Amino acid sequence: MKQNSEQIIDKSLKLTVCFFVASAGLWLLAAALLAYISAAKLTDPFFLSSFEFLSYGKVKIAQANAFVYGWGGNSIFAVTLWVVARLSQAEARGKVIVLFAGFIWNLAITFGLLGILDGHMTPHEMLEMPAEIWPALFISYSIIAFFIIVTHRSRRNSNTIAPQWFLLSSLLWFPMLFLIAWNGLEINPARGTVQSVLSMWFGQSLIWLWLTPVALGAAYYIIPAILGRAIDKYYLAVFGFWCIALLAPWSVVHHLEGGPVPMWIPAIGTVMSIAMIFPIAVASTNFHSTAFLDISKVWNSLPLRFVIFGTLSYTASSYIGVIFSLPAVAKITQFSIINDFHFNQRVYGFFSMIIFGMVYHILPKITGNEIAKGAKSFHFWTSAFGVLILLLAYLIGGLTHGVLAQQPSLNWASSVISSILPYFQITELAFVVLGFSQLVFVVNVWKAIIPNPFAFFTNDDDATNSEVSA
Amino acid sequence: MNNLLKFSLGIFLSLGVAWLAFVVGARAQFGDLTPSSETLDEFGNIPSDSDLYPLPVSGLAEQGSKEYLALGCMTCHTQQVRMVEAGFDVERGWGQRPSVARDYIHQKHVLLGNTRIGPDLANVGLRQPDLEWLHKHLFEPQSVVPQSLCPPSPFLYEQVDQASGKTFTVVNDKNESRFIVPSIRAKRLVSYLKSLHQNYELPEMAFVVNEEENIEKNAELLNLPASDVNQSSLPSWLEKQIASGKEIYMKAAPGGGLCFTCHQPSGEGLAGQFPPLAGSDWVLGDKERLIKISIYGLMGEIEVNGEKYNNVMAPPGIPPGSLTNQQIADVLTYIRNDWGNSASAVTSLEVSTVRNKIKGRAPMQMWTAAELSAVDE
Repeated sequence: MKQNSEQIIDKSLKLTVCFFVASAGLWLLAAALLAYISAAKLTDPFFLSSFEFLSYGKVKIAQANAFVYGWGGNSIFAVTLWVVARLSQAEARGKVIVLFAGFIWNLAITFGLLGILDGHMTPHEMLEMPAEIWPALFISYSIIAFFIIVTHRSRRNSNTIAPQWFLLSSLLWFPMLFLIAWNGLEINPARGTVQSVLSMWFGQSLIWLWLTPVALGAAYYIIPAILGRAIDKYYLAVFGFWCIALLAPWSVVHHLEGGPVPMWIPAIGTVMSIAMIFPIAVASTNFHSTAFLDISKVWNSLPLRFVIFGTLSYTASSYIGVIFSLPAVAKITQFSIINDFHFNQRVYGFFSMIIFGMVYHILPKITGNEIAKGAKSFHFWTSAFGVLILLLAYLIGGLTHGVLAQQPSLNWASSVISSILPYFQITELAFVVLGFSQLVFVVNVWKAIIPNPFAFFTNDDDATNSEVSA
Repeated sequence: MNNLLKFSLGIFLSLGVAWLAFVVGARAQFGDLTPSSETLDEFGNIPSDSDLYPLPVSGLAEQGSKEYLALGCMTCHTQQVRMVEAGFDVERGWGQRPSVARDYIHQKHVLLGNTRIGPDLANVGLRQPDLEWLHKHLFEPQSVVPQSLCPPSPFLYEQVDQASGKTFTVVNDKNESRFIVPSIRAKRLVSYLKSLHQNYELPEMAFVVNEEENIEKNAELLNLPASDVNQSSLPSWLEKQIASGKEIYMKAAPGGGLCFTCHQPSGEGLAGQFPPLAGSDWVLGDKERLIKISIYGLMGEIEVNGEKYNNVMAPPGIPPGSLTNQQIADVLTYIRNDWGNSASAVTSLEVSTVRNKIKGRAPMQMWTAAELSAVDE
């Protein structure tokens, strides 16, 4: 049988993309477990309290790192590799080296998380994994990024489109952000609160300039691809892209409002946060006015249903972020558990939901194995339900937390914190739901990659066996 | 957009501008702050004979900061008192003034934090100077703060069967006692927590004067009694403090102050025997003097509103001297604001500051009026 060019490209990607998706899934489960432990520890401080390596602070930080670098990093590689190769109409390059680099990446994260649990974390936001593993992460990342760019350079059509801008810029921003932060924090450490500015700038920019562009790029790719129609008002996309590039790195510092740093830093952050409404409006116009032209098709295609959930969540979370950056509101919400709302909204409600959609789109194409519609649908509903419950609990709980914390006469532990205890219980429940949901996702993924794990031993075609392995 | 090189350059520049501001700019502006005296002379120089702040951190505390970091305490605790316009941190008693960049210059790792599930710790060394309290809190936070969500750290302590000079006794909610010996790691951590205080002024940031004191000052300027300027409706935190203070004043059981037996429920005292509190120049005067009396008691001759008294006031509280900082703050706030009195509230932070200042004094050693006035000068 003669293969067409798309199938040849998919075949060249099968090994690497499957590897990254499969490892991303395992990290997702690890993060879900850690998320549950940390949520349970907030409702009952004595839960597992005699194990030092499971202290709340350690588990919480390890969870964020497993989520962003384990699940986020691996899925970014998988999605970027595939979309860039498809849009370049070129086969992927250097797959053995990329596979090797991916192996190092995952190994380094494993050691990094064990390091955090063993008490070797650094105090820098989203750079908490011990200093020793970062060179390995940086080099393996650079190798993977290099081969993606090589693939992009060999593209058939020299014109580029929105998904390529977003994916490539995210590919370049991460190492730049990392080098700036690493130089200012570890190699040539700054003194006093300059450290805090830099560490917070890195931690927040990582979400805005690494995870966000990948998810936006994926949405710009998949919406027209599945609907078979062009992005509505596409001419705005270039404006939206450069707005994010220019404004996002400035806007993130508004979290230092009222802190021990010069006033211009949070002030400029607030102004730029407000200006962020332009790129947010552009992306949501592009996505939603296209999607709502054919909403029944969106609903019927599960990958697209995930993606549109993600883009709606992006719009909502970004506008909420703008409101919370205003000084009058920041005063209330600044140090409350609203921070968990922001993180989960952005990383789960937006980024992960789009990635789920992309994985369901990509995997059947490269493996040739369809994923059962019921299983995908179950995953969608549990995820959507779990995320909504989680975010509502953090949002309402965070506002309660913030408002009560502003009453100097209320006792901290017995009045302020006890009033948000019910919300912690809801988040614990939400993490259980999300954990199940993620387990279903991982089973779906592994089943598509290895449909029959025991075939090698038994030559038995019974598909039910495959569940055991996942 | 189509040329990869130009595109990368754009990507690089967009980040580069922010880098110039937040890294290069910030470093140039406040990356090389040095310790300073509390105030500068008229030429803007540091006076040659003054102490420089912040003070360097001890080696043990420095090691403790590593334990603090390793246990992830920063996930729930901040170490920054925000500017007064950005939040009520000072009112909450978390510091005498907002934190500024200079406070952090000696710290190898600055642990500002961004979430407050636990209270701010920028001044925990002032609020909780008590070693035993801190150790109990680390071992099992719920033994000292029943509703705390802070995870216990029993792995920092060794549990032994018998109490001795080296042990602390921790009682849980089932009334079982445990005897714990702190490990070197626990000692480091406690030493670090005790080192956290911003109890000095800096040229760029003075202590915050609270509102009532301001009103008092303005009233003095206008030659009016403070009560005329004060609003008739009190803020709720003050009302609460006064109510709690009244309870302590009137309580004749453990945890109470037993004040009313001598000074009378009317605050008028007994002529010739016990001095009045209503309208008393001592009660409405210097807070530090009042706090000292509330901790150690007072004996000997004293002149109140021109009348002389000579009697003994044991350290207040049942048992004597047992009132906590908050209780002393409440009861003093009460006597300064009842029976027609109207003066500023006393905070537990002020009490703990005074307690620290005089902690060398032997227990139960009552003050004399002469001693207190001598300290004043």
